[in-house]
Amino acid sequence: MLSFFKRKKNRVNQQQPKEYVFASQSSVLMDHSLSKNLEDIKRITGNSPDIVIRKVKIGHHATHEAAVLFVKGLVDSQTVNDLLIESIMKNSHLHKKLHLQDIVDVITNEVIPLGQVQSMRNQEEVVNSLMAGNTIILIEGINEALTAGTQGGEKRSIQEPTTHVSITGSKEGFTESNETNIAMVRRLIKSPDLWMESMTIGKRTKTDVSIMYLKGIAKDDIVHEVRTRLKKINVDGILDSGYIEQLIEDETITIFPTTEHTERPDMIAGNLLEGRIAIFVNGTPFVIIVPAIFVGFFQTVEDYSIRFDIANAFRFLRVIAFLISLIGPALYVAATTFHQEMIPSTLVFIVAAQRESVPFPAVVEALIMEITFEILREAGVRMPKAIGSTVSIVGALVIGQAAVQAGIVSPAMVIIVSITAIASFATPAYSMAISARLIRFVFIICAATFGFYGLLLALLMMIVHLCSLRSFGVPYMTPFAPFFPSHFKETFFRRPLWAMKERPQLIAGENVIRQGENQKPEPPAAREMIMKDKEKGDEHES
Amino acid sequence: MNRKWFFLLLLTINAFLLSGCWSKRELTDLSIVSAYALDLNEEGQYVATVQIVNPGSVAGGLQGGGGQSLAPIIVYSVTGDNLSDMDARITKTLSRTPYYAHTNLIIISDELAKEKGLLPILDELERDSEFRTSTTTIIIAKDTKAQNLIRTLTDMEKLPSLQLNKTLETAEKNLGENVTRHVHDVVNDILSTGKEPVITGFTLNGDPEQGKKMESLQLAELEVFPQADGLAVFKNGKLINWIHGETARGTLWVRNEIKMTITSINWKKEKKAIAYKVMRQKTKVSATITNGIPKISISTRAEGDIAEVKVPINLTDVHVIENIEKELEKDIKNEIEKAVRHAQKDKSDIFGFGEVVHRTDPKVWKKIEKEWDNSTFAELEVDVKVDALIRRTGLRNNSLHTTLKKEGE
Amino acid sequence: MEKAKISAYQLFTLLLLFELGSALVYTLANGAKQDAWMAVLMAMVGGFCLFFIHYRLYCYYPNLPPMEYMQMLLGPVLGKIIAFLFILYFMYVAATILRGFGEMLVISAYPATPIFFINALFILVIIYTVYKGIEVLSRTSEVLFFVVSLLAVSIFLLIILSGNINMDNLKPVFEEGVSPIIKTVFTDTLYFPFGQMIIFTMILPYVNERKKVKRTGLLAIGMSGFVLALITAMNISVLGIDRTTRSPFPFLTTIQMIELAGFLERLDVYFILLVTLTAFVKLSVFFYVTVLSVSHLFHVKHPSHLAYPLGMVVLFLSMAVASNWTEYNQEWFKVEYVYIDPLFQVILPIFLLIVAFFKNRKKAV
Repeated sequence: MLSFFKRKKNRVNQQQPKEYVFASQSSVLMDHSLSKNLEDIKRITGNSPDIVIRKVKIGHHATHEAAVLFVKGLVDSQTVNDLLIESIMKNSHLHKKLHLQDIVDVITNEVIPLGQVQSMRNQEEVVNSLMAGNTIILIEGINEALTAGTQGGEKRSIQEPTTHVSITGSKEGFTESNETNIAMVRRLIKSPDLWMESMTIGKRTKTDVSIMYLKGIAKDDIVHEVRTRLKKINVDGILDSGYIEQLIEDETITIFPTTEHTERPDMIAGNLLEGRIAIFVNGTPFVIIVPAIFVGFFQTVEDYSIRFDIANAFRFLRVIAFLISLIGPALYVAATTFHQEMIPSTLVFIVAAQRESVPFPAVVEALIMEITFEILREAGVRMPKAIGSTVSIVGALVIGQAAVQAGIVSPAMVIIVSITAIASFATPAYSMAISARLIRFVFIICAATFGFYGLLLALLMMIVHLCSLRSFGVPYMTPFAPFFPSHFKETFFRRPLWAMKERPQLIAGENVIRQGENQKPEPPAAREMIMKDKEKGDEHES
Repeated sequence: MNRKWFFLLLLTINAFLLSGCWSKRELTDLSIVSAYALDLNEEGQYVATVQIVNPGSVAGGLQGGGGQSLAPIIVYSVTGDNLSDMDARITKTLSRTPYYAHTNLIIISDELAKEKGLLPILDELERDSEFRTSTTTIIIAKDTKAQNLIRTLTDMEKLPSLQLNKTLETAEKNLGENVTRHVHDVVNDILSTGKEPVITGFTLNGDPEQGKKMESLQLAELEVFPQADGLAVFKNGKLINWIHGETARGTLWVRNEIKMTITSINWKKEKKAIAYKVMRQKTKVSATITNGIPKISISTRAEGDIAEVKVPINLTDVHVIENIEKELEKDIKNEIEKAVRHAQKDKSDIFGFGEVVHRTDPKVWKKIEKEWDNSTFAELEVDVKVDALIRRTGLRNNSLHTTLKKEGE
Repeated sequence: MEKAKISAYQLFTLLLLFELGSALVYTLANGAKQDAWMAVLMAMVGGFCLFFIHYRLYCYYPNLPPMEYMQMLLGPVLGKIIAFLFILYFMYVAATILRGFGEMLVISAYPATPIFFINALFILVIIYTVYKGIEVLSRTSEVLFFVVSLLAVSIFLLIILSGNINMDNLKPVFEEGVSPIIKTVFTDTLYFPFGQMIIFTMILPYVNERKKVKRTGLLAIGMSGFVLALITAMNISVLGIDRTTRSPFPFLTTIQMIELAGFLERLDVYFILLVTLTAFVKLSVFFYVTVLSVSHLFHVKHPSHLAYPLGMVVLFLSMAVASNWTEYNQEWFKVEYVYIDPLFQVILPIFLLIVAFFKNRKKAV
């Protein structure tokens, strides 16, 4: 046991950073011989059958041997067939008599009618380019490879997003393809200031990751920080934006999300305009937004498209729902086991009557119900849709009817659990809702051991923890702490759209002013409009 | 670092695991006491009776079936010398810990109030963090044992304590001869040298033994039922006298505690011919001191409507209304003066005149404080001024009597 | 010094909640009877004077914590001794506050729970906060300021709406003249809660808006004085002077008196909430400054490492300061207000200011 307490010194030093075999860039260059090159590529890729090697003869009297390589399914086959192979074989420029060296230039400049053509010499780069869906052209006697951008293949079309559903607003959701996603945002913000940087992350998956921000609005420091953190990532694979999120968080020992993600282009556009930074990850429809602040998780896109009074009321409602989903059952447990004096007399008789036949203490009852409910929810999520409804019927029967009739739980508890469950669905951000789901159990246990005092201490601890968090340097609890009056009006409340003059200060850089003065609509009085019409002789109104 | 946090974690977990059940009480381990009665037995010991709620049959409806025929309350008695002792001793008969936070009624027998007074029992009620002195009503059992009131089942409200509380509240609101006193009001009045408390009394009509039975509730007209009756006047914490009817109401006028009431006046030989409904009133008591001798003046302003007319009278005439107002003022003044005289005879300052004097002139008060109750108050000159205002006359202007009289002419 | 900065607004919330913390709970200015609220206001004026003393010292040494300028002013030996005495004082007061808080909970809501565990849990949360540093503490106080103001406003409204206020209870004004009020101010109310702001001399160097410090400090003290006077007046007007002085926690009794709309009653939890939140800020500030002073005096590099051991010291000290509730109260009135508080809150700061004045004048010449 003692050894357990001993400080583990110098542990870090003993661990030698292992040489990441694939990490070092090999400097093997392409060979002059076509067959050698082909052999090499075949060897590197393990002779995989989905790599197509099409040998062609080009040039005057078809004297030069060449090969076109691509990976089946990754390329847009129509482009490859129609534009590439056909033009190489039939193009008139190539039928002139040419020097070997000129052929590359001719092909690049005149033959291939594609946007992206590049020549490469590094063997590994060529293979990577091939795996990324480009088409490689190799020519006998030339130690260079031409790559043509032919990425394509099957992908999901743009569909309605399944999360962050909104009643009004756009019905477009992101797809798995970065290009599509970026284009969707560009379509919404047509400013040249919308800058983008791309990088490949993941030593094996080589996932395309792009940062997008509005130059001049986003803070340069934060952009730089995002870039550095992304570049630092050195892992095998990035399969989802969630991987990235976990690798760039400020604080890892926390239950709260410090990055946001969304499936909606309009939400990304709105956040970019506030000065945030979007991170696109290929292969997932969820785009990350940083920096994230606590209240941001309670906002929806619709908040900005409906009038401010209604939007504020709903936002407030969501915060209340979040609180209920956090402390609902804990409050019930604390009130019924410690502070019965809190409950009005008539209610206490009712609750007491219901609890008469229940064999468990209130806390056990609460835990049973909450865990049952969580199981039900987890099962419902993973079930095939056809069975999903069956699960909910069984669950409703088990929780609602049978448990109460059997006297295992009291009806009051069922009500509490249901309210909590409904409330937890009212948080628009899933990542925040699941945090609340988890902390709820901690709260129940605290409330069961020390009543309201325990619950209060747990809440205090949570507030302190929230205040200690930062997301890319921005304190998580802004605009509460640090308190910014102007910022507060923009994030916690929402001012009328015409009055939203400023961007959130901590996030946006110097360029704080959002819009011009006097944006409040001031239509001429209706009477004047009618009078004008009358003068013109338009007599709709008699 | 790790070691420290490990200890911290250990401490936290320990705190949570060990603490377990210190202040924890499950609802199923509590017997919720709804009312508490105190009597005096022949040996001069206290007899405490607790009325415990039987939640199953009070909440009703839900479980259905058998619960309905059970009595909504369970009553236990215990004898002892002080309240805490009895509180502990009663657990010999109870399966669950008595829980007093929802006790909203304390009944004290007149016997106890007369002989021992309230002082010995108030300390426990104040000190105990479970008792709510601000929501617990205190009443005196008049001409019956306090435990009889607590045992009697009632029909409208399933819980007898609730029935008594609500009865008192309703009577206070509509009649104005009774008043709800919480324990803390009584404590305040007793502590103040310049004020004495009044507490509403309740009597029990019928045979107490019958009232215990569920069958007694089957009747349309109950044979046993409690009834609010009079105000108990205290002096130095002990009950000294009862006041009823108009005297009681007069007392509450002065104390500014009338909410709504009906006053009737005579009109041309017809007794109680015109009824006046007081909708709101405001009474101010002030003191003037001349040569160290205080004089009290009471000014009341009542507002209300004509509720009933038994004589032919022209209510559309402003002068008639003014006349009625004058009659009303005389009547109310009479009532108040009667109450004041009664209290002076009892030498118990239930109106808080002493407090008024204290507020007006603390120095004079210091001198007369000691003999206030016994001499100064009893000989106090009290000046009453009443201002009664009739605002409306209801849904009819003139009475049907007026029309009948015209036809008769 | 920790590399942290707090804004003037954060200082305001810290100072305000600090003054309210635990002062909300007790009967203030008992000796002044129904004029207690006036005594509180007068003590607030005294608080302004004390603040000016601290502020002048801060102006002389805006970047130095007191533990260091004491050594500069009085020489290393005497300076160190006095600094050490201050640390003991801070720790002692922190322990008494913790004890008082625990006693309040045990008496009002948790009669069967050992006070040690209540204190231990509270100090655990505070250790965590202090470990996170002054920035997190001040941000937390900002959040709590929202919560507390919401609670306070709603409680005031409830008390007013429930119709319990009887202004007659505040009369007669000046029953025994002004002298008992002044006596109460200088033997009691000035030191608790206003004098305790001595602790903020350690926090002022962190404020990034130096020009606003004076205004913020005065505003916070003024506002807390006003709120405390309001609460005192409210307690007396609802409960009457007798019950206010007989209750250990009159505000709790006042809240218990609320009865509104048939179901808004028994709001004890409100009280526990309000008191815990403000006491949390108060004790955190006290404890943070204790930790910081120790680290300055003994040149500990990371003050946060001291949070846990010193927390345990404060916890055990809180158990040791008094053996029972009566003794605890006696200690305040017979020892703290008479000897300890005047020395550390008034005499020593004035002494330091005089020395600083002459030293700096010499320099200027």
